Amino acid sequence: MSDLRAYKRTLALAAFAIPIVIYPLVYSGSYPVGVGIIAGAMAAGTVGFVLLIGYAHQLAFGQAGFLMVGGYTSAILCTHYKFDPFFALLIGVCLSMLIAYVIGRPIMKLRGFVLAMASLAMQLIFIVLAIEIEFGGGAMGTHGVPKFGMFGITFTSDIAFYYAAWAIAFVCVAIGLNIDRSRIGRALKAIATSETAAGSVGIEIVKYKVQMFVVSAGMASAAGSLGVHYLRAMDPNVYGFAYSLNLLTAVIIGGLTSVWGGALGATVITGLRELLRGLGLPLWESIIMGTLTVVVLITFPGGLAGAMGAVFDRIAGRNRKFANVTVAPDPSALAPISDAPPKGAVMLEVENADRAFGNLKAVNKVSFKVEAGMITALIGPNGAGKTTLFNLIGGYQPLNGGTVKFLGVPIETLLPNEIAERGIGRTFQNLQLFDNMTVLENVMCGRYRLNSAGIFAISARLPMVAREEEATRQAARAALAFVGLQGAEDMLPTALSFGHQRLVEVARALALSPKLLLMDEPASGLNDTETERLAELILRIAALGITVLLVEHDMRVVMGLADQIVVMHHGEKIADDTADNVRAHPAVIAAYLGQEAHLVETAS
Amino acid sequence: MDSQTFFQLLLPGLTTGCVYALVALGFVLTANVSGVVNFAQGEFVMLGGIVAAALVAMHVPTALAVVGATLTGAAVAALQERLTLAPVRQTPHFIRITITLGVAVVLRGIALILFGKDPLFLPGFTGDGVFTLFGAVLPIQSLWVWIATAALLAGTFWFLKFTDVGRAVRACSTNLRAARLMGVNAERLTLLVFALAGGTGALAGIVITPIVLANWDAGVAYGLKGFIGAILGGFRSPAVAVLGGLGIGVVESMAAGYVSSGYKDAIVYGVLIAYLLVRGGVFVFGRASLNTGSNEP
Repeated sequence: MSDLRAYKRTLALAAFAIPIVIYPLVYSGSYPVGVGIIAGAMAAGTVGFVLLIGYAHQLAFGQAGFLMVGGYTSAILCTHYKFDPFFALLIGVCLSMLIAYVIGRPIMKLRGFVLAMASLAMQLIFIVLAIEIEFGGGAMGTHGVPKFGMFGITFTSDIAFYYAAWAIAFVCVAIGLNIDRSRIGRALKAIATSETAAGSVGIEIVKYKVQMFVVSAGMASAAGSLGVHYLRAMDPNVYGFAYSLNLLTAVIIGGLTSVWGGALGATVITGLRELLRGLGLPLWESIIMGTLTVVVLITFPGGLAGAMGAVFDRIAGRNRKFANVTVAPDPSALAPISDAPPKGAVMLEVENADRAFGNLKAVNKVSFKVEAGMITALIGPNGAGKTTLFNLIGGYQPLNGGTVKFLGVPIETLLPNEIAERGIGRTFQNLQLFDNMTVLENVMCGRYRLNSAGIFAISARLPMVAREEEATRQAARAALAFVGLQGAEDMLPTALSFGHQRLVEVARALALSPKLLLMDEPASGLNDTETERLAELILRIAALGITVLLVEHDMRVVMGLADQIVVMHHGEKIADDTADNVRAHPAVIAAYLGQEAHLVETAS
Repeated sequence: MDSQTFFQLLLPGLTTGCVYALVALGFVLTANVSGVVNFAQGEFVMLGGIVAAALVAMHVPTALAVVGATLTGAAVAALQERLTLAPVRQTPHFIRITITLGVAVVLRGIALILFGKDPLFLPGFTGDGVFTLFGAVLPIQSLWVWIATAALLAGTFWFLKFTDVGRAVRACSTNLRAARLMGVNAERLTLLVFALAGGTGALAGIVITPIVLANWDAGVAYGLKGFIGAILGGFRSPAVAVLGGLGIGVVESMAAGYVSSGYKDAIVYGVLIAYLLVRGGVFVFGRASLNTGSNEP
């Protein structure tokens, strides 16, 4: 399948690059070339927007503010200080990224519409500053900006400028594509679907949001600089609110889910604007842009690039929606973990854990130990506080008191991703898969803590990145084979049955090579056959040397499986013993097992 | 600071604050029933002012123009809900928010084409005279703004508190899903609340226009500033949202008077960002930060 993807990438590149290269040769007049320059500049600016909005779903609508930073930097440096335009562009990019980093650190902790508003407010502040601060020329702006040039050579011909602008746009697209097919691209998609699950595999959520904010600011800045050299002037209105919206429309029409989409959209939008101007209807711009935005989002959120991708998939027969998957586990697919602590050592130690919601003590001074190499089950009736306790261990909720130690080190203040980082995997009661990625990519996300490629290495696609990707892919395939889902690699999780989706989640957690695996009600929603298979899988996981702690409801699963059972009731621990002893424990029978205990006994 | 200057800043601030308050109220109500923050909310204010001004310029009697423009706002908002939000209730949140932004752009575009780039003038309902209050000189139209706002607020709160439909709206604001499960007809309710919010916004735009003129591109600023009020109330409390809106009007006016009129917007937006950062849990670290600044209003 990856061959097909490479083919698709090449095809997309050709489909886009060839017309771009030929265009000025065919339409060499100064007007059409000028339009091409504007489109190229805008295309550069859209790539980061796609990553930020389309991939990570972060609504930083005011990103055009960074076009202003780039525009002013270029205008001022080139006009007043005679800087080389390309050098000034790079300075603008660095400055924008620096500003974006300072602003992004706090602002990207905001979510949803709150971020959208903060981002728009940021842009409006930029505009006010541009009007009020003198050295940019105030409301009049800076005029007489020289033509673009590089390395001391001024491009007297617009065609040279055209190729330079598009070359920069393509560099942005290349960086975008490199990010797209990397661990960071997956991290962004993961963040978009479920921050909870993203944290559980070790993804540092705010870090990647900020990185994309900075990357997109840099690209926007480059676009701003290019545009200013074409307009030969810069003022506060050039990249105002209207431009911001055009950029957004471009990204939406082109396709939010494809790096190419932005560039494609920029071309379409620029062409459309010029068409309207040619027809003498420039005022209609905002109605048409707005309508296009709304219509595309309602009818085809994937945009043009999404539509083309779908056509390609249909022709290439990549329609695997209804493939049949039979579960055939391969126990030898995963090797026993090498860094397992000796059997019987204390893996996890919960001491006096406390968590109250208002007056309700969900978890009340609970202490227990999980020994390495064992399967420990946490059981209790509904509302006993099992899941809350699990969330305290997994990092999803703060403790009101008490400690949690993993291999002797306190972890009770750590965030979910930091806990995953230490080698604790987890699955969720309500499935938390990344529906926007294939099964294989979902599992690859699990390798997060074991990889190290950073944004610079990934942007440049250094050889180590490709090597690491390949190793990650192999490991993910192995984890899928271990749970028995070979053949489902390229499907979307939503195309699988519920039981199979649960297995994907287990595979994703196993991909972490965890020392400890936390499973929250793994059998809920499964039928009898699936439950049996799950129990067998858990035993095989334990055989790898992975310690398992599971919350469970289904007594049959737990009794045959667990070495140790911790029973909770009304937030308190009422028993903590081997399965047999727990079954005989009077308090447990009274509080929880009751009728069912006899059933289990008679059944066994 | 002398008290005359103070009141000369405070009272006009309160007057524009009335508009922000009504926008904030619209934000809260629509967000609670639909789950979407409507970026087009400010455009209804613009629309109200501009339509009323255009009607009066066509010699339509003021009273009739006010009614017509208010109904226009309500109808456009209802249409927005029907055409662009009702069909996509299941799509991801970020897409629905972006759609409302697209609608805002369309409305601006329509206003630009129909009414042109130049600001439109609407004479005061009872002349363009002035009166003095606490030493501050104010246009008589201010009284109309205050009265209209007070009446709208009283009406809205009465509606929320004492009618079945109002109770349903409040139920939605506490728990949208539960309310739907309890048999609240979300479809009809959403439509109604959008129309209400559109009409309220438009009326706010109408009464303020004799003081500030009507501009095709004024919607964004009204929207953002009203949003500040809404978010002060955490998108839950209509009353706090209204107070927040009034407060923003005062802050803006004071900033213009005591600092610089050029920077007043920067200051107000700076306050917005600062507040969002505090409320969004940016200064909360560790696990406690996981549950702050949620996605849904």
